[in-house]
Amino acid sequence: MPQRSRSIARRLTFMNMLVSSIALLIAGVAFSAYDLATFRAATVRALSTEARMVASNSVTALLFNDPDTATHTLGALRASPDVVLAQIYSPDGHLFASYSRDGSTRPAALPLVPTGSDEAAVMSTSSIDLARPIVSEGATIGTVRIQADLQAMYLRLLRYASIVAVVLILSLAGALLVSYLSQRAISRPLAAVAESARQVSQARDYSIRAPRIGTAYELAVLVDSFNGMLAEVQARDESLRDARTQLEARVRERTDELRAINSELEAFTYSVSHDLRAPLRHITGFASLLDQHAGGSLDDQGRRYLTTISGAATRMATLIDDLLAFSRMGRASLTKRHVDLSQLVREARDEVSTDIDGRRVTWNVQDLPAVEADPALLRPVLVNLLSNALKYTSTRDEARIDIGAEPHPDEVVVFVRDNGVGFDMAYAHKLFGVFQRLHRADEFSGTGIGLANVRRIIQRHGGRTWAEGAVDAGATFYFSLPIQGAAA
Amino acid sequence: MMRGHRRILAACVAAVFAAISVAGADAQSPRRSEYEVKAAYLFTFARFVEWTPRPSRDDSSFTICILGADPFGATLDMTLSEAVIRGRRVGARRISEPDAAAGCHIVFVSTSEDRRMADLVPLLAGAGVLTVSDMPKFTERGGMIQFVTAANRVRFEINLQSARQAGLMMSSELLRVASAVRNATGSM
Amino acid sequence: MTADLPRILIAEDSDNDLELTLAALRSHRVANEVDVVHDGAEALDYLYCRGAFAGRTRASLALVLLDLKMPKLDGLEVLRQIKSDPALRLTPVVMLTSSREEVDLVRSYELGVNAYVVKPVEFGAFMAAVKQLGAFWAVLNELPPMPVAAAGGSGA
Repeated sequence: MPQRSRSIARRLTFMNMLVSSIALLIAGVAFSAYDLATFRAATVRALSTEARMVASNSVTALLFNDPDTATHTLGALRASPDVVLAQIYSPDGHLFASYSRDGSTRPAALPLVPTGSDEAAVMSTSSIDLARPIVSEGATIGTVRIQADLQAMYLRLLRYASIVAVVLILSLAGALLVSYLSQRAISRPLAAVAESARQVSQARDYSIRAPRIGTAYELAVLVDSFNGMLAEVQARDESLRDARTQLEARVRERTDELRAINSELEAFTYSVSHDLRAPLRHITGFASLLDQHAGGSLDDQGRRYLTTISGAATRMATLIDDLLAFSRMGRASLTKRHVDLSQLVREARDEVSTDIDGRRVTWNVQDLPAVEADPALLRPVLVNLLSNALKYTSTRDEARIDIGAEPHPDEVVVFVRDNGVGFDMAYAHKLFGVFQRLHRADEFSGTGIGLANVRRIIQRHGGRTWAEGAVDAGATFYFSLPIQGAAA
Repeated sequence: MMRGHRRILAACVAAVFAAISVAGADAQSPRRSEYEVKAAYLFTFARFVEWTPRPSRDDSSFTICILGADPFGATLDMTLSEAVIRGRRVGARRISEPDAAAGCHIVFVSTSEDRRMADLVPLLAGAGVLTVSDMPKFTERGGMIQFVTAANRVRFEINLQSARQAGLMMSSELLRVASAVRNATGSM
Repeated sequence: MTADLPRILIAEDSDNDLELTLAALRSHRVANEVDVVHDGAEALDYLYCRGAFAGRTRASLALVLLDLKMPKLDGLEVLRQIKSDPALRLTPVVMLTSSREEVDLVRSYELGVNAYVVKPVEFGAFMAAVKQLGAFWAVLNELPPMPVAAAGGSGA
């Protein structure tokens, strides 16, 4: 990070220097050019004035052929230090009078500047040449030519160049100072922000804040935004951590509660299974002993009473067993496997077929798919449904039972249809409740636990159960099993 | 190095040109005769002199008169044939008597009038004309401009006093090229 | 004649169950003398001839019928003590219980129970179970030799 910030400082320095140099050079060149142009114009103007003066003072000298006077007139140019040479020519191009600054007696003839009726000036690298016709009474009676050297201009140029150089050096020194200050004002805060960002990303510590250095508005905004962002991240981080802690605590709490409830339930079940059955056993036991002991002295009605007492107790024992089984089912662990449904249906059929007793039953079992389920739990489901179907078709001459499956994208729906006594759809919602029965116990035997058990098992597999039917028109029981890997 | 070469070359060229110019100037003098120069001077003087208007004189044209024997001959007429002074045509007249000078602007007094100069001066001054002559001691005797020849060149002397008395104003430019200027009669 | 037969110990807290059990044994003519205790602690006192049974002569037992649920010490604890004591280890123990809970069954077999009988509610089935037990353990089973030589045949 220090290298980076130094490079920004260096770049700022360079830019400062470059900008000030360029500005100064442009200003210097422009000013010099303007000044030189002005200077040249002024020089030409001065030369022109001098030429005009010489011309008007040389008229009579020319007219009366008096080179001495003309030479004398030219001598006045000595007052102008820039004038190197001045000459007067007659109209036919002969040198009439001459002046040279260095006093040479035979100075070089000045170059002929082409003139019309008015003066003309030509500037070369070293001199300005000006020629002006001498006019009297509308006639050109001669020409005055003046040459001024540009030494003064070059001196001036040299002076400007030195001034520009000095100012350039001074301004570069100023730029260095400014860039040093700007490094303090810009690159240091930037470097501090960069350093903070590095620490944050390395340590994942969002409580770090970038320091506010300097007074630059944009940098202050940058630092504040950065810190604001960090604060936001920190707040979210903390709330996320809090939420997770709370969630963990809640899960732990719930788990403990569930565990407590479960163990209570287990203790309850245990005592039900142990203590509730003992009195029933005593009832049947002593009824039986009574029968042995005093059976002979009882009349038929007395013996029927004894039988009823035994039967009721036995039936209650069955109810208790079924309830316990139902309760156990809710707590048993679920181990899903690949299960061949056709095979399972075959086994269930074999199990319930002992109840057929020579009835006429037509089984229609379709090809069934394999499903993901716990076979130990799914088996009682099928046994229950098939035995129900057999039970409620017992009044039919010929029982007809269809078993099939409808594959859906995310579940398999299995149905068991019979042509039995059916049920009233108005009570369909009661079918799967515990101890809910739609028929009188003396019509069809059963404890009213079976379908509740079916529903509980299927629900534990993540599926659904429902039934369709009509009174005396058969019933269809459905259950669905989710397909593994299908979208939840 | 280059600069040196160029300078030497320029100097040579300039020297040759100067030699030609001087040779030309020298060659001019003998080609123009003395009276051709004097004729040209005569009307050139007019440019630098202001005349007081006189009723006897027509100022719409300019008249140069020759009093006495004419030394110019055709030269003067040739010189003046196309001449214009301040927009006015210039003409030449020969006169024999000073009375006739009243219509003239310039009177050239011929050397033939040397003997009666004393009479002529007040007359011509009264007429307000510029008197010019090449007779000796002309300005000493009240003449205004006298041609003198020195070193093969025609020059002139001026008697400013005389000119003023005749109501003439001479420009300083003219005075500057005069070889001598008198401010009072008899003094130089 | 009965004095020659080894005795049967029944640990049962329920008088009704005890009566039914004894009736069943009787109806199947199990001839062994039956001693009865009413809780696990008594059962151990009996087995170790201490407390109320301090005067009992140690004799080999044909069978111990243990009810699972008993006051003080339950059947499983008594079973554990019997099976961890080299002197009692070989005594046949049958758990006679109304519980169908698998945990009890598994625990019992882990502790080395010889048989586990769920008391049927139906008296006929109960009678059948007891009859089987009596016949098997009291009549047919050869008893292991007593590790401590003691006089047999004397009643409590």
